[in-house]
Amino acid sequence: MAYAVEMSNICKSFNKGKVQALDGVNFTLGRAKIHGILGENGAGKTTLMNVLFGLYRADSGTICVNGKPVEIHRPKDARALGIGMVHQHFMLVRTMTVAENVVLGLPSSKAPFLDIKSATSKLLELSNVFGLKIDPGAKVWQLSVGEQQRAEIVSVLYRGVDILILDEPTAVLTPAETRDFFKMLGKMKAEGKSVVLITHKLEEIFDIADEATVLRNGKLACSTEVSNTSKQELTRMMVGKDVLFNLKKSSYEKNALDSNERLKVKNLSALNNKGLSALDNLNFSIEAGEILGVAGVDGNGQSELCEVLTGLRRIESGDISVNGTSCTGREPKAFIDLGVAHIPEDRHMTGMAMNMDVSRNLIIKDFDRKEYSFLGILKSGAIERNADRAIAEYEIKTSGAEARVRELSGGNQQKIILARELGKNPKVIIANQPTRGLDIGATEYVRQKLLEARDNGAAILLVSADLEEIMQLSDRIAVMYRGRMTGIVPGASTMEEIGLMMAGYDNTKPEACNA
Amino acid sequence: MTEATAKSAFNSVISAVTAVFTALIFGFVLLWVCGYDAVKAYTTMFNGAFGSANRFAETIVKTIPLTVMALGTAIAFKSKIWNIGGNGQFIVGGALSLYVALNFKLPALIMFPLSIFMAFAGGALWGGLAGYLKAKYNANEVITTLMLNYIASFLLAWLVRGPMMDPAGFGFPQTPLIDKSLQLSSLLAGTRLHSGFIIAVIIVILCWILSRSIFGFRMELIGESHEVAAYSGINVKKTTLMTMLISGGLAGLAGWNEVFGLHHRLLDDVAGNYGSMAIVIALLGGLHPLGIFVSGLLFSALLVGGGTMQRMSGIPLSLVDIIQGTVIIFVISRAALTLKSK
Ligand SMILES: Nc1ncnc2c1ncn2[C@@H]1O[C@H](COP(=O)(O)OP(=O)(O)OP(=O)(O)O)[C@@H](O)[C@H]1O
Ligand SMILES: [Mg+2]
Repeated sequence: MAYAVEMSNICKSFNKGKVQALDGVNFTLGRAKIHGILGENGAGKTTLMNVLFGLYRADSGTICVNGKPVEIHRPKDARALGIGMVHQHFMLVRTMTVAENVVLGLPSSKAPFLDIKSATSKLLELSNVFGLKIDPGAKVWQLSVGEQQRAEIVSVLYRGVDILILDEPTAVLTPAETRDFFKMLGKMKAEGKSVVLITHKLEEIFDIADEATVLRNGKLACSTEVSNTSKQELTRMMVGKDVLFNLKKSSYEKNALDSNERLKVKNLSALNNKGLSALDNLNFSIEAGEILGVAGVDGNGQSELCEVLTGLRRIESGDISVNGTSCTGREPKAFIDLGVAHIPEDRHMTGMAMNMDVSRNLIIKDFDRKEYSFLGILKSGAIERNADRAIAEYEIKTSGAEARVRELSGGNQQKIILARELGKNPKVIIANQPTRGLDIGATEYVRQKLLEARDNGAAILLVSADLEEIMQLSDRIAVMYRGRMTGIVPGASTMEEIGLMMAGYDNTKPEACNA
Repeated sequence: MTEATAKSAFNSVISAVTAVFTALIFGFVLLWVCGYDAVKAYTTMFNGAFGSANRFAETIVKTIPLTVMALGTAIAFKSKIWNIGGNGQFIVGGALSLYVALNFKLPALIMFPLSIFMAFAGGALWGGLAGYLKAKYNANEVITTLMLNYIASFLLAWLVRGPMMDPAGFGFPQTPLIDKSLQLSSLLAGTRLHSGFIIAVIIVILCWILSRSIFGFRMELIGESHEVAAYSGINVKKTTLMTMLISGGLAGLAGWNEVFGLHHRLLDDVAGNYGSMAIVIALLGGLHPLGIFVSGLLFSALLVGGGTMQRMSGIPLSLVDIIQGTVIIFVISRAALTLKSK
């Protein structure tokens, strides 16, 4: 039986050959198989799939779909072959609704008018069947990152595909959502469809994939049946050597004097982009040297909380104080000056200037400081030295400090934000999905960095869809549900307890709540 | 100057030159196909722009206001603020500085900087009005600056026929001349080339410094995205307003240059279609001060030389227009291509 997809000897370079993203890669996707693609940040996973989807033209190499050689010059060609792709970075038009996005470019039964109504009902049906909750009538800009991810997936499914490419689709989904999502992939497989799943989470490969391909530095490292391999072997293939995971976490001692409250929030309420209540009378505080993990299904107010705590969103009522200074109603600049670092969930829209180069992105919060300017003029030497240091320390894979961040792989973009935000001894860190899209090594490194910052006295608010990450790092854990914190429990609580709280059951004893 | 900045300056100049020359080649073929003597036409055009001291001076005289205005346009465009109100800002700046020069008896040493200041302030007022409306009410600057253009040009028409009209001007719609001591000195005897050129060069340098400054960085971040700018701690509204003040102020300075250096008075329609040309020059120069200076020069040569070509060789002006139009198309398609190739 012919393969669903067979790519041979694919080469692709960028910047006139300066960056060799793919170097003679072979890739085969079996029919009715789920195929995982693994590799470190910048290994070439996205580039390989962009070649298959027609977003990039390969320099050389051939592609066969269902046994027939094909030329794929643009996404339209790929779609005609039944290929659909959910991108690592969102592609929906932000000013339009989810339903409008879905029908974009599709023939309409009511031509020349759009048939939004039937699209909406079909979307709702899909979202029910697959357990991915979406609101077809909402404008994309109003959605949280998790909601956007679900909308992206559903809008590709809507078109009906035989070969589905998923580029890190689970990065912002909660474990429960991921489970439902995988069930859906299983169903598709049973219907004879083939799926490519790019991920950094090895467990997902063993949960669901039949075959796996590992890329390393643009080359094929190995391609195997999942049943024939182990986590260790795959990791070794990715990194090129054995990796040991030993995250060291010192135990947390509550400060007896209680005078070290770095971040304190009182009766805090705020609205979301749709103008509905997002935060409902929150009360909590974080001490120096403490990590408060915030778990919860995405869209329950986590993003709004992070924005409020950095001055990016107006609050309706309540009080925020940093280090004892009230910041209520202050501009983002005030928060930055008080030492509040922010790792935003949406790196493209918020966290970096995509068209600026690496070195300038590393100073977008510091460019007006003495280190980087003299008499109001920027010191390019100092800016470049800072970039070289960050690139070395965080192992950012880039062709140089003057490369535009748009050209970097997703994980390497995230590293730029981390280098900037963690680099200058912040007092408070608001971290929203800090390891989203990072490879195993980088994830471990960032977690280590967060623990280091905590040991150096930072107060950290950690929002993550990854429950394990929360359990591993947090000293206390709060669960957000419909804009409220369903109790705050010690870090040693069990997964089940937290899982229940995420569904809205508040089973904490009153004294465990830190008001 | 580091390697990267030298490279970006070089690139902006090179691409401006390439666009103009490609358009010229296109025009050459067009003339030839239409049965004109293309070689002769182009020789005439070149001589018209550079052929004698006088022709060269005329080219530079055109370059001065166009470049300064394009610098102002570029500053707004870099922040993705589409200020198309250069004409209005030019007029208000010119009028305000002229008003001061005509009505106050001050020594030239004081009047000179004062008039420059008033020109900048006038342009900044007109630009800042649009900036304020954008920052405060999110009013679309394309519409507000365009409307302010109309207001300014009617204001000018009224001024030169009413309160500021030259009583000894036989009813021409123009103001009296400013005092001899305030008129910019000639740079080249026997031509209209005036020392405003030196001021223009200084403004180019200042704009280049501005683009490398803290404030320039702020404006660039605003142009990247308001979300990123806010995240970086920048006050988006304030920076938007400041950008429009500077952008308008520069157009006002262009007006000052034209009034004090060339006409020595206000005329009806003194700004002509400088505003739209400034937009083309700003884009042609890749929004980079040095690139703008070079494209300002090239574009002025095209204008002055094209005029001569039409007068001397009987080639219809519409063909000259077509060549200029081709430059614009090349500029726009280059901008589109750089966006697409990413
Ligand atoms: N448009 C581009 N221009 C220049 N270089 C690029 C471009 N796209 C990708 N690259 C480079 O190609 C290499 C591979 O990038 P790719 O995005 O495929 O990595 P990836 O495996 O998907 O990584 P991640 O896990 O971080 O998403 C990287 O070094 C990246 O910098
Ligand atoms: Mg990728």
